[in-house]
Amino acid sequence: MPIWLGFAVLALVFWGVTGVTQKLATNRITSESSFLWFCWAMVALSAVVLAFTHPQWHLRLAVVVASVAGGALNGLGAWTSFRALESGGKASIVISLISLYPLLTVVLAVVILGERLTWEQTAGALVAIVAAILLSLEG
Amino acid sequence: MSEAKKGRPLWLLWSVATIVLWGVWGLVSKVASDGVDAYTNQLLYTVGLAPLLVFVGWTVWRQRDRREGRGKGIFWAFLTGILGGVGNLAFFQALVKGGKASVVAPVTALFPMVTVLLALIVLRERLGKRQWAGLGLAFVAIYLLSM
Repeated sequence: MPIWLGFAVLALVFWGVTGVTQKLATNRITSESSFLWFCWAMVALSAVVLAFTHPQWHLRLAVVVASVAGGALNGLGAWTSFRALESGGKASIVISLISLYPLLTVVLAVVILGERLTWEQTAGALVAIVAAILLSLEG
Repeated sequence: MSEAKKGRPLWLLWSVATIVLWGVWGLVSKVASDGVDAYTNQLLYTVGLAPLLVFVGWTVWRQRDRREGRGKGIFWAFLTGILGGVGNLAFFQALVKGGKASVVAPVTALFPMVTVLLALIVLRERLGKRQWAGLGLAFVAIYLLSM
């Protein structure tokens, strides 16, 4: 197994567990409060990272902009997903629709970054998106 | 006239916005991974999150949520952030170690499979046929994407 796949699966596992802890949180507090404490935890984790690792300080501006934009985009995406659910969208439809986001990443990575996929990986990306949609449906 | 009456329900617009924001996030994370390690990326990611933290903090302060069980709710929300952050580190590391954005994004987007498995094992929830099919397809997808 390639090492990058091991890390990708690790991310999948950690994010998967958040599906349960997030539900336990929003059963008790509002989605906004939950998101706020989620953000504070990110700050705390970053403080630990800052204390125990050696961050790179000499970075290209493009890299800094991309990294900071990443946090803003991901956070805003979480916020808009809450708004979608609170605006009357059925959870099964909203979450299924949102599950399509990797499709955009694939298209952008191929078009902008010039990434090339094998036919197995192309099939895998499509199957992954169908699987994510099915997993979000109840019943 | 409301947006819903014009045929563009608000939830659909918010959902599309989410697809765009998260879809582009996958791309910019790959761009960043070419020049920064996973730990520094997580620090800069948190900087990007800061304006939203201020905005949401102001919203929560106005709500003054004082319902019972708030302490436990905060605990679970905080734990969600820690687990999410560690997941971010692994995601960034996958990109730094040579994973393509076009492959890593679909693999990590399968995270609901773990949620569903935990709901089955820990919360004793029952799965529907479509979720079982989704679980099976998720394993097939990971196998295909690893090729």
